[in-house]
Amino acid sequence: MTAVTAGAGTLRDRIVGRLATRVGLFTVLGALLVVVVLVGAGQGAVNVPASEVLGSVLHRLGFDIGPMPSHPRGEDALWNVRFPRVTMAVLAGAALATAGAVMQGVFGNPLAEPGVVGVSSGAAVAAATVIVFDLEFAGSWTIAIAAFLGGLVTTFLVYLLSREGGRTEVVTLVLTGIALNAMTSAGLAFLLFLANTQAREEIVFWQLGSLNGARWEQVVVVAVLAVVGVVAAVVMARQLDLLALGDRAARHVGVDVERLRVKAIVVVAVLTAAAVAFCGIIAFVGLVVPHLVRLVIGPGHRLLIPASALGGAVLLVAADLWARTAIVNADLPIGMLTALVGGPFFFWLIRRARRTAGGWA
Amino acid sequence: MRRVVAAVMAVMVLAFAGCGIEVDNSDDGHGPTGTSAPDLETVTPLDDVRDWQGLATAVAADPAIHPVTDDPQQQLPVTLTDHQGTKVTVKDTSRVLALDVYGSLSRITYELGLGDSLIGRDVSTQFEEAADLPLVTHGGHDLSAESILDLDPTLIITDTSLGPWDVILQMREAGIPVVVVDSHRSIDNVSSLINEVAAALGVPAEGKKLAQRSQEQIDEVLGKIAKVAPAEESGRLRTIFLYVRGQANTYQLFGEDSGADTLIEALGLYDVAKEIDWKGSRSVTAEALIEAQPDLVLLMSKGLESVGGVDGLLEKVPALASTPAGENERFVDMADSQILGYGPMTAQVLNALAVAIYAPGSIS
Repeated sequence: MTAVTAGAGTLRDRIVGRLATRVGLFTVLGALLVVVVLVGAGQGAVNVPASEVLGSVLHRLGFDIGPMPSHPRGEDALWNVRFPRVTMAVLAGAALATAGAVMQGVFGNPLAEPGVVGVSSGAAVAAATVIVFDLEFAGSWTIAIAAFLGGLVTTFLVYLLSREGGRTEVVTLVLTGIALNAMTSAGLAFLLFLANTQAREEIVFWQLGSLNGARWEQVVVVAVLAVVGVVAAVVMARQLDLLALGDRAARHVGVDVERLRVKAIVVVAVLTAAAVAFCGIIAFVGLVVPHLVRLVIGPGHRLLIPASALGGAVLLVAADLWARTAIVNADLPIGMLTALVGGPFFFWLIRRARRTAGGWA
Repeated sequence: MRRVVAAVMAVMVLAFAGCGIEVDNSDDGHGPTGTSAPDLETVTPLDDVRDWQGLATAVAADPAIHPVTDDPQQQLPVTLTDHQGTKVTVKDTSRVLALDVYGSLSRITYELGLGDSLIGRDVSTQFEEAADLPLVTHGGHDLSAESILDLDPTLIITDTSLGPWDVILQMREAGIPVVVVDSHRSIDNVSSLINEVAAALGVPAEGKKLAQRSQEQIDEVLGKIAKVAPAEESGRLRTIFLYVRGQANTYQLFGEDSGADTLIEALGLYDVAKEIDWKGSRSVTAEALIEAQPDLVLLMSKGLESVGGVDGLLEKVPALASTPAGENERFVDMADSQILGYGPMTAQVLNALAVAIYAPGSIS
C-alpha cells in the first residue's frame, strides 16, 4: 500500500506513495466522520428522515431549503437531544484518542492509555466526590475541573510510579495501572456507599460511561477542553517525535525533556477530563485508535495526533450510535461496548509488546 | 449473522445483570397471586402477634382506579412554583407524562380523573388501566429523552427519583413545561403530594377532594391497625424492610427516608432500622442482620421471587436464619409497584399488609 516496492521505485515514487497514503487516510477518516455523524443524527426513537434532518440544519443556517421535521417534536429531538449527543461523542472520542497517542509517546510505551492505566477512573473519583458531597464552585464547570484535577494527580502518579531509568517498562506500567484502578475503584465503591440514591445512580451511570443526557451547556465545556488539548498535543508533536529517539538524543537536539513530560501530562489530564466529566469512563478508545493509525501512516506524531483525533471521533460516534440503537428502547452503556471491542485488542497488543521486547521486560 | 447478534445481545444482558443495573420490565400489574385482603376489622387477629410461621402475601383487595370525578373542571393556564422553586406555566394538559420511581404520580393523575391525558408511563406504573401505555424509561429507571419527545408531551410531572437529571433539563430546553414535585414519600405527605400534582394539572378542587378522601381512608385504616397492634412498644414486632434483587446480588436494608420507615411505623411495628440509625438504603451485612434480630421481614414480591422464594432467600442470606424472622419464616411480601407507592392507594396497602401481619390466617 505504501512504498513497499523499494527495489524498483525511485525515491520520488516512494515519497509520492507515502503522501498518497497520508492524504488518503485523512480523506477516508474525514468522510467516515461525516457519514457516521449524519447517520447518527438521523437515528433515534423520534423518527426524522435524513431529508428533514438536512432541511432542519439548513433552516438554522438561514437557507430556506428542504423539508422541516414533520414530527411535532422533531426539531427539539434534533437540536436538544441528538445533535448535542453526537457532538459530545465527536469531542470525547477525539479527546480520548489524542490522550492515548500523547501518553504512548511520552511514556514510550504502547500500552499507555487513560482508561487502562487508571487516569480515567482517577478523574472519575474526583468528579464523583464532587457529586456525592454536592460541592459546587464553578457552575457547570465544577465537575470538569474536579475531573481534571483527579486526572492530573493520577497521571503524575502513574508517571512517577512506573518510571525507572528514563523509561517505563510495559509490565511496570500495566501493574501500576492495575494498582491504580484497584485504588480508584475502591474509592468509587466507598463514594457509592456514602451517596444518597440519586448520587448513586449518577455514579453508576458514570462507571459504565454513557452519552445519554448530553446538553449544549456541557458540550461547550467539553469542546473548550478538547480543542485546547488537541491543539496543544499537535503543537508538541515534533518534540514527541524527538523524544522517541530516547531522552539523551532528544536533549542533544534541544528538547527540554522534563518540561515536555510535565506539559504532556497536563495535556493528557485536560483531554481525559474532557471525556470523563460528562460521559464517564470510556476505556480503550485511546488504545485502539492510535495503534490502528500507526499501522497505516507510521509513528510520526505530527500526523498521528490529528489522525487519531479524527479516528477517535469516528469510533465513538459509531459506538454511541450502536449503543442507542442495538436494542430497541434501550441505551447500552458505551463504556461497556468499547471495552468489549478494546479488550481483545489489548490482549493482542500485550502479546505483540512481549514478542518485540524479547520477553517480559 | 443474526445468531451472532443475538449471542452478543445475550452477553450484554448478562453483563447488565452483573453490573448491578436492575432490568425489571416484567409486569406485575395484577400483583402476586393470593387471596386478596379482607377488611382488617372483619378478620380475627392472632392472639399473640409472634405466634405465626410462614410467608404471607399482602394483596390489595381493590387495586382498580376510582377517579374522584369523571368530569374534572380544569382551570388553565395555571402558573405555579414547583417543589424546586421553579416557576412553571401549564397551558395544555392534553398530553401528560407523570413519572417517578414509585408509580405514584401516574396513579394520582388517574385518580384525579385525568387518566386519558396520560400518554406514557414509567416502569413502576403497572396498574391495569395504564399498562398499555408506552414506556419512557429503559434499563430499569433511566429516562430516555427521545422516547419522551417522540410522544410529544405538553406537560411532564416528575420528581428527582428518575434520572439522568440532564434528560429532564433537555425537556425543559425543548420548551416542555416540567413540574417537579416532592420526591419524598411517606404516610405524612400523601395529601400534599396529591395537591402538588393536582395543581400542575389545573384541578386544585379535585386534588383537595382526592387528598381528603385518601387521608380519611388512611386515618380509618390507621385506627383499625391501632386496635390490633400491641400497645406496648416492647410487644411490637421488630421489623425490617429488605430490598432484594437476586439477579444483581443486591440486598439492601431500607432505613430513614426510604419510605419504608413510615410504613413500618404506620403498621404498628417496631422499626429496627431506626434503632440502629440506618439512613437511606444500603447493603446490609450478615452481622447487622443477626444483631437486628427482626421478628418480621417486609419484601417486594418480585424481589422475593428473584432469589427463589423464602427458601432461596434463606439460602442466599444465611444470616437471616439466625433471626426470629428466619426461624419462623415470618416474611410478608407485596407487589413491588404497590408496597412503597404512596398515594391514593396507601390505605389499601396498609390494610393488606396489616391483615398479612396481624391476621395471616385469614388469607392462607
